[in-house]
Amino acid sequence: MMTYVELHARSAFSFLRGGSDPEALAREAARLQFPALALCDRGGVYGAVRLHMPSKEAGFRALAGCELIMEDGAVVPVLVSTQAGYRQLGALLTTANLRAPKGEGRVTWRELEEGNGGLIALTGDEEGPVRRAWRERGPDAAAEAGGKLRRIFGGGRLFVELQRHLVPGEERANEFLVDWAASVKLPLLATNGVNHATAADRNVADIFTCLREHTTLDAAGRRLARNRERHLKGAGEMTALFADLPEAIANTGRLAERLEFTLDQLDYRFPDFDVPAGETQISHLHRMTYLGAEERFGTVTGAVRRQIERELELIGRLGFSGYFLIVWDLCRFARGRGTLIQGRGSAANSVVCYALGITAVDPIANKLLFERFLSEGRSDWPDIDLDLPSMERREEVIQEVYQRYGRRGAAMTANVISFKGRSTMREVGKVMGLPDDVLDRFSSLFHGGDYPQTLELAEQLRMAGIAPNDARLRALLDTCQRVYGLPRHLGQHSGGMVLCQGELNDFVPLENARMPGRSVLQWDKSDCEDMRIVKIDLLGLGMMAVLQDTLEICAQRGQPVDLAQIPKDDAETFKLLQDADTVGLFQVESRAQMATLPRMKPKTFYDLVIEVAIIRPGPIQGNAVNPYLARRAGKEEVVYADERARPILERTLGVVLFQEQVLRLAMELGGFSASEADELRRAIGFTRSQERLNRMKDKLGESLRKNGVAPAATESILHSLASFALYGFPESHAISFALIAYASAWLKVHRPAAFYAGLLNNQPMGFYSPATLVQDARRRGVKTLPVCVQRSAEACEVIADDTLRLGFASVRGVRKAGVAAMLAARQKLPFVSLADFLRRTEFSAAERRALAKAGALNALSGHRRAALWEVESTHAGDELFRLVAVEGPEPVLSPLERMTHLERLQADYETLGLTTGPHPMRLMREKMPDLWAAAELKHGRPGARVKIGGPVITRQRPGTAKGFCFITIEDETGHANAIVRPNLFEELRLVINLEPSLMITGRLQNEQGVIHIMAEEIVALPMGGLPAEISHDYH
Amino acid sequence: MSYAVLLAPHFSLEALRCGAPELAGQPVALIAGEGRKAVITEVSPEAPMVEAGCAATLAMARCPGIVLRTRDFAAEAEAQRLLVAAGFTLSPRVETTGPGCCTVDLQGADLARSESEIRLRIAELAPLGLTLRAGIGATPLLASYAAHQTDSLLRVDDARAFLRTLPLEVGGPSADELAILRNWGLQTLGDLTALTKADVGQRLGARGVALWERAAGETTRVLRLVEPSRSFVAEWAYEPPIEMLEPLTFKLQRFAERVALELRAAGFVAEALTLYLLLEDGSDHRREFHLPEPGADVASWMRVLLSHLETLRLTSHVIGARLLAAPARPQQKQDGLFDTGLRDPVAFWENLARLGALVGPDRVGTPVVAETHRADAFTLAKPADVVPAATEPPIHPERGLVLRRFRPAWPAAVGLREGKPQALGGAVSGPIVATAGPWRCEGGWWHRDAWCVETWHVEVGDGAVYQLARTGETWCIEGVLD
Repeated sequence: MMTYVELHARSAFSFLRGGSDPEALAREAARLQFPALALCDRGGVYGAVRLHMPSKEAGFRALAGCELIMEDGAVVPVLVSTQAGYRQLGALLTTANLRAPKGEGRVTWRELEEGNGGLIALTGDEEGPVRRAWRERGPDAAAEAGGKLRRIFGGGRLFVELQRHLVPGEERANEFLVDWAASVKLPLLATNGVNHATAADRNVADIFTCLREHTTLDAAGRRLARNRERHLKGAGEMTALFADLPEAIANTGRLAERLEFTLDQLDYRFPDFDVPAGETQISHLHRMTYLGAEERFGTVTGAVRRQIERELELIGRLGFSGYFLIVWDLCRFARGRGTLIQGRGSAANSVVCYALGITAVDPIANKLLFERFLSEGRSDWPDIDLDLPSMERREEVIQEVYQRYGRRGAAMTANVISFKGRSTMREVGKVMGLPDDVLDRFSSLFHGGDYPQTLELAEQLRMAGIAPNDARLRALLDTCQRVYGLPRHLGQHSGGMVLCQGELNDFVPLENARMPGRSVLQWDKSDCEDMRIVKIDLLGLGMMAVLQDTLEICAQRGQPVDLAQIPKDDAETFKLLQDADTVGLFQVESRAQMATLPRMKPKTFYDLVIEVAIIRPGPIQGNAVNPYLARRAGKEEVVYADERARPILERTLGVVLFQEQVLRLAMELGGFSASEADELRRAIGFTRSQERLNRMKDKLGESLRKNGVAPAATESILHSLASFALYGFPESHAISFALIAYASAWLKVHRPAAFYAGLLNNQPMGFYSPATLVQDARRRGVKTLPVCVQRSAEACEVIADDTLRLGFASVRGVRKAGVAAMLAARQKLPFVSLADFLRRTEFSAAERRALAKAGALNALSGHRRAALWEVESTHAGDELFRLVAVEGPEPVLSPLERMTHLERLQADYETLGLTTGPHPMRLMREKMPDLWAAAELKHGRPGARVKIGGPVITRQRPGTAKGFCFITIEDETGHANAIVRPNLFEELRLVINLEPSLMITGRLQNEQGVIHIMAEEIVALPMGGLPAEISHDYH
Repeated sequence: MSYAVLLAPHFSLEALRCGAPELAGQPVALIAGEGRKAVITEVSPEAPMVEAGCAATLAMARCPGIVLRTRDFAAEAEAQRLLVAAGFTLSPRVETTGPGCCTVDLQGADLARSESEIRLRIAELAPLGLTLRAGIGATPLLASYAAHQTDSLLRVDDARAFLRTLPLEVGGPSADELAILRNWGLQTLGDLTALTKADVGQRLGARGVALWERAAGETTRVLRLVEPSRSFVAEWAYEPPIEMLEPLTFKLQRFAERVALELRAAGFVAEALTLYLLLEDGSDHRREFHLPEPGADVASWMRVLLSHLETLRLTSHVIGARLLAAPARPQQKQDGLFDTGLRDPVAFWENLARLGALVGPDRVGTPVVAETHRADAFTLAKPADVVPAATEPPIHPERGLVLRRFRPAWPAAVGLREGKPQALGGAVSGPIVATAGPWRCEGGWWHRDAWCVETWHVEVGDGAVYQLARTGETWCIEGVLD
C-alpha cells in the first residue's frame, strides 16, 4: 500500500473551526499508523506542542505548519521544512499580529514574498487563493492566483492541493487544478483538509461554525459541513479516493520526508544577564549569593556554605546562572521601588534563592528538599514564581521586563480558555436553538463554581425545562461532552512571562493581548514547559497589596513594621488563629479553614504551614486531614507505613501532606533517582495527562514492591501520589504562603486598623465583602466612621488606633476625577457650607445625591435629608438656577425630616454596599425571637434543633465535598455555618442559590468548638426592606 | 364636569389569560427583559410569594411550577377594544388612555345613572376575564387616581382629602423624580404638596412643578378622543344563520364599501384583507388576502374575495363574519426599468386564490431552494409582484447531463459489489455497466429529522443514466439524467 501522510489538518486550536483537539488527532493518527501528521491551524501554531508531545509517544512525526491568513482574506497553508523556515513562520505571524488588534493579524503578500525560506506552500482548499479565485472569477483568475504563489515559492516549494470530500461538483475544481498543475509543472498533493479527528466529531465542527457565524444550526444552512468526510483517513481510504491520481498520494510521503523540522529542534536560550566586566555569569551569581547570605544569616556557617556551594555548582553546570541573576535583578528592581515581592513555590527550597532575596524561607532551617526545585536529572528550567501586590505595582514590574527585553524578547504566556461548565451548555444549547429562558434557568440552577454536579446532565436539563423526550436532548448531551474541554479562545496567563536570548518569535509566534502594552505567546505555560521554555511568574496577590498598604499606613502613623522581624511565636496571633477569627486573613479565612483551625489549634509557625497545606483538595482526597488531626490531638497513634518513612513523615505525624514527601518517599523507599523523582514531580504537576501520572504510579509501585515495601504501605503511598495530582502543595510553597498568612494574622492582631484599611482599599479580594469586613472590624474593636467631605480621603484611612474613616472610593457611582478635584478644592480652603461645597466642586447631580445619601455631606448639612434637599437646590438641567444659586443667599433650613435608623441603613447599603452602623440583623432580631444568634450557638446543646437566619455571605460546594453545600450566614454577633446534604441541596437548589437571606433550621453540631447546623429546612428570610449583602459564592 | 376612568389593573396578565384557557387556575407571571435580566412585571394571585420586580429565576424558586410568559400584545389589543367598547356605552367621548385604561367624558350625563352603568360593565366584563375598577372625579386625573385606589368604583367628591393619602407613584413621577422624592422621605402625594410648589420647582424644574400640581389635583387636560372607525374593521352576525352565498356577498359588498371609504378618508389604502367567518358549530374560518397592489378599489377587493368564496366548502352555517382591512399608505414606488410586472396582477391573484382554495393555501407559492445542503429541499414563498431582472451569468455555467427528477422517486432494489451498485431491480432493472459517485450529504443531526443521503449515477444496459439515492438501506431512483 502506498504511504499517505495527512499534511493539512486543523485542530480546535484553529479556534471555532477544527472539531478535535491535537491530542485526539494524535490518537487517530497513531491508530491509522501515519508516519507523520502536519498540523496547520488557522493563523498560528497554537496546537503544535500538543500534537508534538503525544506524537513522540505514539511514534509518528508531528510536522509544523500553519494556515496563513493573507491580507485579501485568502488562506495559504504552509508547511515548515527547516528550522529557518520555522523562524520565518514565527516572524511572519508575529509581524502580522503585532500590528493589528488581537485576532485580526493578516500577512501581506509582500511579506510572504520577502520571507518564505524554509517554508513549503500548498495552494489550499476552498478558502485558498486558487480555488477561491476559480470559484469567484473563473479559471484565468485562478491561474493568476496560482501564478502569484508560484512566483513566491518557486516550482519546488509549491504543491497543488487536491481534496475529495464526496461532494457533488468538487471534481470540476479538481479537474482545473490537475490541468493547471500539469501546464505549469507543479506537483499534485492529496490532502483531506482535515477538520476533525473522526467522523463523529463533525458535529463539533458544525457547532463551532455556528458560534463563529453567530447563528443557530437551524439557520446556518449551507454554512454547515455538507457531510462528515473531513476526518483523518488512512492510507487505504485515501489511495482509493485518489486511485486516478496516485502521484497525489505518493507526493504526500515524499513531501513529508522533505519536512525535516519538528519541535525537537527548538533551540531556546534564556537571556544572559549583563555582568560587570571581568565577571562571568556564575562568578557574579557566586558573589551576589554570598553577599546576600551574609545579610540573611549573619554568619555563613559550614552547613550553609556547603549547601550554597552544592547549589551553585549545579546551577553553573546546568547553565542556569543567568536565570537566577535576572530574577534577582527583578526582585531588586521591585524593592527599589518600595514594592513587596516574594518568591513562592519550589524556589523556596533553594538557599541561593533565599540568599538572593528571591524567597523569604530559610530552606536549611526548614529542612527543605533542594531537589524539588532543581536536580541533576532535570533538563527543564527551574520554576520561580514571584508574588507581587496586585494591580499597578505588578504592572510596573511587568512593563519593566518589556522595557528591558523588548516586545519581541518578552511576552506573557497564553491561557487557553476552554469550553467548561455551564458555558458549554449555554453555547451549545444556544446554537441548537434552545430557548433563552431554558438556558437561563440552567445557568441559575447550576452556578459557575457549583460543581461537580450531583445530578446527571440530562437530569439538570430536565430541571431546566427540557423534556426527556425532546428531540435535541441526545444530540445536545453528546455534543456537550465532545465540546467540553476544547479551546475556545486564547487569553493571557495571569503572570507567566517568558524571556529569551534574541527574539521569542524564533520559538513561538507572538500576538497582542487585549490589554494594551502586552504581548502574548501562542502557547500556554504547559506548552512552554514541555518545550523547555523558561517562565517567570509575576503573580499579583491581593494580600501582598494589602500588606503593602498596611505597612505604608503603619509607617505613616509612626508605627513601622518590618515583616522580616515580626516574632514568629506571638501568642496573641496564635490565639486569633486558634479561635478561627480569621476573616480577611490570607489562606486561612475560608469556611473550611475556619472549621479546621479550632481542631488544629496552631501553636507554632510550622503548624500554620500545615494548616495552609492541609485544607487543599490533595490532602482532603488523600484522606490525610482527619488522621493528621486525630494524631495531633492524641486520639490516634502515630504510625508509619514503613519504618524507613519515619524521617520523612515525622514532622507531619506519619501523614503525607507535601509533594516533597512523596518525592522523598519515592527516592528513599522506591529507590528513584533524582531524574526519576523529577519525572514524578512533572507527572504530578501535569494535570493534562492522567495517563502520564498512571505510568509513573505503576513505575513507583513496582519500585516500592521491589524494595520490600509492604503492599499496604505501597498502596498508601500511591494513593497519596494520586491525590497530589489534585493540587497538593509543595512544603516550600506552603511555607511561603504561611509567611504571608502569619503576617496578615499578626497585623490583624497588632495593627488592626491599618490592616482593615488595607483590606478595604484593595477590594474585591478574598472571601468576604467589605460589609463583612467592617462588621468583623467592629467585633474586634475597630470602628469605622462614614465618608465625610470635610475629612475623608480617596481611600479608607486610619485616624486612630481603633478608628477608620471610609474613603470616597467606597461611595458607589462617584468618579475618581470628581473626588480629586474636590480634594484639591478642600486643600485650598475647607468648605464652609454645603452651598460652598456645591459651588466649588464638579460632581454631577447623581454624584451629589450619592454623597448626600451616604451621609458624606452631614458635616455641612446636619443630616442626610437636609443634604439631599440642598443638593437639589440647583436644578441640574437649568443653568439659570445654578447661577442664581451661586450668587444667591444661603438656603433656608430643610423642611425634610431626618432619616430613620432603618432608612439610614438602607441608604448605606445602597450607596456604600455596607454600613458603618449596626448590622441589619440587629433590627430584625426583635421580630424573630426564635432565631439563634451566631454567638449563642456555642451555648447550645449538640443535637438540639435550632434556627438561624441572616444574609448569606458565602455559599460553597467544593469538589471534595461529595455534593454537600456549605452556607455561611452573618448576623450582628458573627457568622453561623450550615451544612446542606446533597439531596436537600438539589431539592432547594434555587432557594439556596438565589435568596439573598436565608432562615435555616437544623441540628446543632459542636465538635471541638467547630459549630455547624446540619440543615433540615431552608426558607427565604424576608428582610422587610432591610438590605442584604452580596454573597461571595462558590469561590 | 365629571370624568370616569375604567381601569384593568392586571390588564396584560388578564388579556393573556383570556386567550389561553389552559392558564386558568395556574400560577402565572409576566416577565419583561432579556435573558437573565428578565423580571416579573405582573403575577397572578395563585403565586402569592412572587412579587413584581423580582427576577424570573427567583420567582421560579419561590413558586415551583409558575408559568412565565411575555406579554401577548395581540390579546391585549383585543382586550383593549373590549374596554373601549365598554367606555362607549357610557359616552361617545372616550379616550384610550393606556393599556387597560380608558377615560370617559361624562359631561352632561346623570352621574348616578353612570355609576350604575359602570357597575354593570364591571360585572359584564368579569366573566370575560377582565377585572375592572373605575373612578369618577372632576378631572381625568382625579378619576384616574380614584380608579387606582379602589377595588370596584370610587367617586371622589373631596379632592384635597382624597389626594393627601395617595402614594407618590400615583402622581406619575419619572423614575428619577421618584428616586429623589424617596430620598427626601416622601411617601404620599400629601407629603409632596406639604412642600411649597416653589421649592419643588427650584429642585425638580418644570416637571417637578407639573408633578406638584398633579399631586394637588390642580391639573386637568383635554381628552384625546378615540374614533372607533379608525380600526377599519367591519363585523356582523347572522340571525338566523345563513346557508347561501348571496346574503353574505350582499353584506360583504356593503361593508367593504364602508371600510374602503374610511380608508380613503384617512389617506390609506388596504394592503391586505382578512375575512373571518364564524360558523354555527362554533368553529370559524379565516382567510387573509394579500392584495397584489395596495388599493381601496372595492371591485378589485370583491373579485379576490368572491373567487375564494365560490370555491369554499364549509362544514356548518355562517353565524357571523368580520372583514378587516390592513391600512397602508398608497404605493409611490416606480418599478425598475428592467423589472417585469405582471400583465394583470389582479387576475393573477384571483387565480392564485382559487388555487389556494383547491389545494390549500400552504401549497401555493413560488418554490425557493432551501438554504440547506439537502438536495431538492425547497420552501414556498409568496410570488414576487415583479419578476426581477436577470442576474449576471454564473462564472461556471451548468454542464453535463440534466437531472429529470421522478416525483415521487421510484423505489429500487440495488445489488452491490464492493460497496458499489452492480445491478438494479424494480421499475428499472438490469445490470449496471458504469457508476459515478458516491456523493454524501448529511444534516439535521441535532433533531429527529436527521438525514443522510448517498447519491450515485449509474448507467444501465440501454445507455440510460439514473441517479440513485440511498438513505440507510433504502434505495430509490431519483431521476434520469438526460
